[in-house]
Amino acid sequence: MNKETMQKYLDRCSKCGGCMAVCPLYGETHVEPLVARGKLFLISNYLEGNLDLSCKMKELMSLCLLCKACTVQCPNSIPVDELVLSIRQEIAHEKGISFVKKNVFQHLLQNNGRLTTAAKCAYLYQQSGLQWLVRKSRLLELGGGDLGKKENLLPKMAKVPFRAQVPHLLPAANPRVKVAYYTGCLTNYVFPETGHAVLKVLKNHPLDIVIPDQWCCGIPALASGDEESAVKLAQKNIEAFQKAGVDVIITDCASCGSMLREYAELVGTPQARAFSEKVVDFSELLDDVVDFQPGEKEVNHIVTYHDPCHLRRGQGVKEAPRRLIKAVPGVTFREMKEADRCCGAAGSFNLTYYELASKVGHRKAQNINDTGAQTVVTGCPSCITQIDHMLKRENLPVQVMHLAELLSMTY
Amino acid sequence: MLSNAVINEIKQIVGVEYVLTTKEELLCYAYDSTPNAFLPDLVVRPCSTAEVQKIIKLANEHLFPVVPRGAGTGLSGGSLPVAGGVVVDLTRMNKILEIDAENLVAVVEPGVITYSIQEEAEKIGLFYPPDPASLKTSTIGGNVAECAGGPRAFKYGVTRDYVLGLEVVTPAGDVISTGGKTVKSVTGYDLIRLYTGSEGTLGIITKIYLRLIPKPESKKTLMAVYNNLKDAAQSVTSIIRQGIIPVTLEMMDDRTIQCVEKHKHLGLPLDAEAILIIEVDGPRVLLDSQTAEIAEQCRSCGARDVKVAESEDDRDRIWAARRAVSAAVVQIKPTKISEDVSVPRMAIPEMVKRLKEIASRYQLELVIFGHAGDGNLHPNILCNKQDKEEMQRVEKAIGELFQAAVDLGGTLSGEHGIGTMKAPYLKLETGEAGYAVMKNIKQALDPNNILNPGKIFWSDSNE
Repeated sequence: MNKETMQKYLDRCSKCGGCMAVCPLYGETHVEPLVARGKLFLISNYLEGNLDLSCKMKELMSLCLLCKACTVQCPNSIPVDELVLSIRQEIAHEKGISFVKKNVFQHLLQNNGRLTTAAKCAYLYQQSGLQWLVRKSRLLELGGGDLGKKENLLPKMAKVPFRAQVPHLLPAANPRVKVAYYTGCLTNYVFPETGHAVLKVLKNHPLDIVIPDQWCCGIPALASGDEESAVKLAQKNIEAFQKAGVDVIITDCASCGSMLREYAELVGTPQARAFSEKVVDFSELLDDVVDFQPGEKEVNHIVTYHDPCHLRRGQGVKEAPRRLIKAVPGVTFREMKEADRCCGAAGSFNLTYYELASKVGHRKAQNINDTGAQTVVTGCPSCITQIDHMLKRENLPVQVMHLAELLSMTY
Repeated sequence: MLSNAVINEIKQIVGVEYVLTTKEELLCYAYDSTPNAFLPDLVVRPCSTAEVQKIIKLANEHLFPVVPRGAGTGLSGGSLPVAGGVVVDLTRMNKILEIDAENLVAVVEPGVITYSIQEEAEKIGLFYPPDPASLKTSTIGGNVAECAGGPRAFKYGVTRDYVLGLEVVTPAGDVISTGGKTVKSVTGYDLIRLYTGSEGTLGIITKIYLRLIPKPESKKTLMAVYNNLKDAAQSVTSIIRQGIIPVTLEMMDDRTIQCVEKHKHLGLPLDAEAILIIEVDGPRVLLDSQTAEIAEQCRSCGARDVKVAESEDDRDRIWAARRAVSAAVVQIKPTKISEDVSVPRMAIPEMVKRLKEIASRYQLELVIFGHAGDGNLHPNILCNKQDKEEMQRVEKAIGELFQAAVDLGGTLSGEHGIGTMKAPYLKLETGEAGYAVMKNIKQALDPNNILNPGKIFWSDSNE
């Protein structure tokens, strides 16, 4: 977003404070710089030359979940999350991004071979006993802060990435639609069971399935202000999926899905627009494109559903997952309070700001538990990581799973 | 302005993490919901009456301004640190201490969000009626300090009608309690009424006793469309003559209707001069006959169309028009100067006429909506704060708008308070003698002018 457009939006803010009623971070802290109108006022001051891009500014601008709750409720329709992203970009340009992030966005994520090697190293760390040793010895607590707890939040890596476990072409007998499956990094490296569940459900419908070569969607880079790396990743994905020649592109990750839909604007080419137009969430495919046919096995669970920010507000998907859950034989569905309030994961926000994210997550865990559900279903692996961590941390008897896993249990 | 020694003392009082010092953080406490901003020297976030008391004592010792602040959603500049100093952010004092169902009283700290009090009360069938538009964000302390109103005021009254008792840290640093859980109390002067609406100039409110009432069983909503604004005002009178007091009587003028329709496409008539949204509440058995009677009165007064909401969806659709106003009007121009003059109800048509005349003379965009039951109008001037020449015209128009309200037997502010925005016009309504009485109270209670200087009494710092 250029500065003129930013200023135009910023001028619209009447500081009514409506954002304060919905911001998860303000809700936990009641601190004005963390809420949208505070951030917008700071950005205004920067654009008017009253404020530098200081370290404090960088910190405050990074303290946003990008959950879009304020954007959706703003009476004056200010795209707060886009403004925060724009200022992060400005900060990244001026001050640079951290050495680690730079390496990850500009090298590791751009090269699937190296990424797989890195994932393998993490797997080995977790399997070799080294993780056990580190946890047992409380070595990380010596570093001070929350390092010990954060290490706990790191997901368990898969031994073999999901895409290396499955064929890349799964044709159906009488296919109605040709679908490309964008697996996302978390499903590929951490939750292969989600990927298997997605395939199991899809295979029970008249769909030709392709899993093309693919790269990180780019959202971690964009969220950190590195638009250039994000665009490069987008171009690679667009090219690879164009070759696959499909009708629909699905993803099981709300964040990836919202990012893939952004390619049209981010890259701006006709190919990018064609790509973005094909993207639908896994739940939309089953709800809109084909008629979901559950299997015969009953799943006798009380189930509640958490709306990922990037699905509900990022992609406007609200009813499809709920309809699918209710269509599962045996399931009792119970809506939770504040189902669409952010869980606190927000990419790596929960690692960077562990305590704050845990406060946000605590509220989510309580709302989940208050329904009396045994199972909480959602549509984003990042939310799953955070919710799982919070439920365990608070010893609550609820399991979290991806929508695909619940649906796959019927076959 | 504040010495490091003083800042360190404040840090000792509340703890380092509850003192904000960087320019970035201070900027975020420089504003409220008016278009103005003033940078404070420090932001302090106390969590107890004792901490507030210590800060006030320190302020008297070192003579720095103290500006109490809740959620900063005021519309008159009440929480703006116009003279710098220390902003005392009370949002950490946010406990509902007690909901006493037997005595129908809620005891709360000032930083509680008003809506949470309503939620808690409604869980046990009770009701806290005042409903300022900001109720999901604003704090009860701010509501009391500004004596906030809301659409339900005509039937249920405003914040002051529900405050039974207060704990206040005085400008001298003493803690006093006035009133409590009793409905009746005439022990000396009515300090509760003095502090309610005192805009943080006479003390910092640290505990509030609120009256609760039983929650009305049900409500029903109508919308009436008029070719003529006078007929809308006449309808309100006719309805009340039938012995019905609606809970809300929201009015939108022609320009507001056009803005909303253009922005939201709700099917509102573009040639209507006024719309009334009328809601009644009470026992379910009464509401059908009451709404029928209201519809009848509206029609006989000249309403060209009356819609009665038969379902929750209908009700939502009717209120959608009112809810869309804020977003719709800023499409005209980005800066919204929201006034809240009140006139006797029957003077509404004349006031609207004069407002439109003023706006056209100064070539300004004006929309008028508000609460037709109590004569509290919200003329909103849409302008662009970057346009200095236009802002001068706005300033002049506002002066005339206040004069018109006073001429018609009305008041400068129905529910927003005087703050800084209306301070230059105060004497229009109070006269010299009335102003002097208020000023004497302020000087007697706050001789060092510690608390919220520059509010209400515009020229305080120069006098």
